[in-house]
Amino acid sequence: MHESHHVVAPSYLDMTAQEITNDVLKRHHSPGNQFWTIAMILGGLFVVGLVGLFMLIADGFDNKSAWGYYAATFGYVFSLSQTAVLVSVALRMAKSHWRRPLARISEMFAIVGVYSFAMLLPLLWVLPSIEGRRSLWFEWPGNTPHIWDTMALGSLVICGLAILYFASLPDLVTDKEVSGKSDEDVSYHPLIPHWFGAPKHWQLQKIVLGLLGGFYFLMLIIVHMLISVDFAMALIPGWKDAIFPAFHAINGIQASIALIIVTMFILRSRSSLGKYLELEQFWALSKILLATCLLWFYFWWSSFFTYWYGRMPAEIGVLKYIMFETYSTVFLLAFTMCFVIPFLILVVNVVRKTIWGPTLAASVILIGTFFNQVRYYVAGFSVEDHTLHVLENLPDFTAPGPIDFMVVVGGISGAVLTYMLGTRIFPIISIWEIKEGLMLQRVRKFMKRDIRVLAKPE
Amino acid sequence: MQERVRISDSQVNTDLTSSIFESSKLYWILVGFLALVVLCGFTAAGYMFNRGLGVTGLNRPVMWGFFITNFVFWIGISHAGVMLSAILRLVQAEWRRPATRAAEVLTVFSLMTAMTMPLIHAGRPWRVAYWVFPYDWARGIYPNVRSALVWDPSAVFTYLTSSILFVYIALIPDFAVLRDRTTGVPHIIYSILSLGWRGSVRQWKLQIIAGILLSAIILPIFVSVHSIVSWDFGTAMSVEAWHSTVFAPYFVIGAVHSGVSAVVTVMIILRWMFHWEDYIRREHMDSLAKLLIVVATAWLFFFALEFFFGLYALEGPEVALRELQVFEAPWKWYFLTFLITSYLIPVPMWLIPSVRRNLWLMAFTTILVNVGMWFERFIIIVPGLMRKQAFVFTWGGYTPSIVEVTIITATFAMVSMLVLLFAKVVPLIPIGDAKEGMILHDEIKIGKVMVPAVMREE
Repeated sequence: MHESHHVVAPSYLDMTAQEITNDVLKRHHSPGNQFWTIAMILGGLFVVGLVGLFMLIADGFDNKSAWGYYAATFGYVFSLSQTAVLVSVALRMAKSHWRRPLARISEMFAIVGVYSFAMLLPLLWVLPSIEGRRSLWFEWPGNTPHIWDTMALGSLVICGLAILYFASLPDLVTDKEVSGKSDEDVSYHPLIPHWFGAPKHWQLQKIVLGLLGGFYFLMLIIVHMLISVDFAMALIPGWKDAIFPAFHAINGIQASIALIIVTMFILRSRSSLGKYLELEQFWALSKILLATCLLWFYFWWSSFFTYWYGRMPAEIGVLKYIMFETYSTVFLLAFTMCFVIPFLILVVNVVRKTIWGPTLAASVILIGTFFNQVRYYVAGFSVEDHTLHVLENLPDFTAPGPIDFMVVVGGISGAVLTYMLGTRIFPIISIWEIKEGLMLQRVRKFMKRDIRVLAKPE
Repeated sequence: MQERVRISDSQVNTDLTSSIFESSKLYWILVGFLALVVLCGFTAAGYMFNRGLGVTGLNRPVMWGFFITNFVFWIGISHAGVMLSAILRLVQAEWRRPATRAAEVLTVFSLMTAMTMPLIHAGRPWRVAYWVFPYDWARGIYPNVRSALVWDPSAVFTYLTSSILFVYIALIPDFAVLRDRTTGVPHIIYSILSLGWRGSVRQWKLQIIAGILLSAIILPIFVSVHSIVSWDFGTAMSVEAWHSTVFAPYFVIGAVHSGVSAVVTVMIILRWMFHWEDYIRREHMDSLAKLLIVVATAWLFFFALEFFFGLYALEGPEVALRELQVFEAPWKWYFLTFLITSYLIPVPMWLIPSVRRNLWLMAFTTILVNVGMWFERFIIIVPGLMRKQAFVFTWGGYTPSIVEVTIITATFAMVSMLVLLFAKVVPLIPIGDAKEGMILHDEIKIGKVMVPAVMREE
């Protein structure tokens, strides 16, 4: 924090552009031994997950309930990673100055999108044909969701990577120049085209990022709908819930903000990036996190209340299955950890305006979101006959077995490892955006006090 | 683009109180005309009370028609106040300043108008007393507290009370300005209303804290009001297309869409009528239009969810209802009108920067939105009731009578008239806010360009 001022002004305002460049690139090139130790551990866990996956494949794709936890892990990784990119996109569109240090942290999750796409592929063999059952695709051929879901998620992943690439381009060039590598040295950032930071280049980058951001936002909402309905709602007889795709998306947004907060906390404490990732970032994100917690409750309540009040047998069956009987414990955990605990933490002003407060709430949300995915995806994959219109007999709770634990731990470890390896290619702090922030922010005297002035260019 | 001009404090006082101390002939002609329309509405309502509901087009099975449509519409408009004033105040959006008062005032008057609708619809409004003083419990003539229809008045009254408080708190400094510029009876009234305001640091601090607290408190009320209105429909099991889990957020976002559009229309009229070109600037229209693009697109997403998941189960009656709405005259024309006017024309136009800064086109598009949103409520309410259902021995269409049309027209005149009359007693742009905006405005020189900036104190 800028201790000399009464206002929250970023510490990097005291640095020059060159100092920022050198500082970020120095940390980028020397991650330290601890980084590689953690990467090795995660790699080991990922291998365990792979073994679990091979064991699932060896058992075949017919026993759908065996794949429930794998599907939940996929839903979790997809929700978090793909939605995290949106945070940067939205904040850039809103021209928030506080976003600058966390923009790349958010965009970098696009790389994890590739991993989540790979996780989708085995599930396509498990997903039953839509013939004879309710589906988003009505009377289309049986394998329609398999094709379109793959294409939709693939497009989203490519778009996310494009956002990461175009947003990182100036930093990759800076990195190359600082390192003194020549254009011919293709081993060094071969992704860099002929960028030299001309006004035309910057304008083009702004336009491309704006267009890609808009497209990404629309695609993300569509993919949330496709994945949540095809892999969860459509598999549970009697479940016709118009708000569910939006609820799935809002839970994704909530969890992705939580993920960024936790990532910032780790980077701050482990990578000494405290002068960029300050209280301002945690505080600003915690306000949005509080809002998403309330939205989580509101969307859940809208759905629950309409079903509960209606007392229709099909809908009460769904409530009993995923909320009040079969998966009641999981639901209770999800409800408590996605709404109750974070709300109680974040509603207190003095706690919200700390670094540990939002981090604690975010950590709880990340766990709660996983339980939320379990009660949808595991429940969905545990139903034997998807052609029914009412859940006449509630299926039993599918408890996780050793293979499930391997898949869950390995799946999540693989996602974290992918992210960590991504930081070896792209600097984790967006250098050009921080430098732009230097130009657009000042600290000035105003009535005996120092006050921050923020430029709002068109 | 920099459009702001420096204006002295005394000039701001003079300009913004001009609506109170100066009146053009046009103003009184307009008020007179609107009063005449309101009088026609009262006459029509009196006639209806005297003759009974038979003079309306309401008949079995369509017992909810224009009045309930209009009730939902005005509740929707009322959401503008909180959306613009509370949310934008909490996020410290600078461009909110000229819009907040108009939005808050519109909230209060549209809520009051909305509340008259169920009373008129009851046919014998004095019977509402039975809700408060049930005279015969044994005969079941008492309100069913488990019904959303009973929660409605509670929610709307709470919202009205908090909105009035919200407007009043914001008005206190302006009342003081008026107190200091009036004599006689007005001076006494403004003195009482200004609560001894002297503009001390402590008073400003308290006023700002009260505004922020009320903003935070009023937000859940704002969400609950339209959610409960939506549950008037959502909890009804007997009408196709009404029992949808997405109704609550769909109604809320739709309300924000129509409400913010109405605020834009009102702002343009105020600018034209009172020559407030230096206060309500094109840049404000630009920002509001950008906000509307986001709100409208979110609304379209919820509409798509509602419509799509209506068809999802492919249940005969639901499909038949959708066919009625989309393919059968006159409903298909209403449906087409609603979709074209509330989204397909305005949003593509708002994407063009020159349109966002053109006052005529902004007025045109925002009026279109509200035409569409009125039709939206109409096609949600009436076609569902028209559908032949089990145990319904009569069925048929609905044609509003001249009595209903007159009363509905009068509600529009009443809200417009009340806003204009209110402009005669208080400034419709907050004077304190306008001055604060001038103080907090700054510029930062970047290269050879002066970029508009804003001071931000935490």
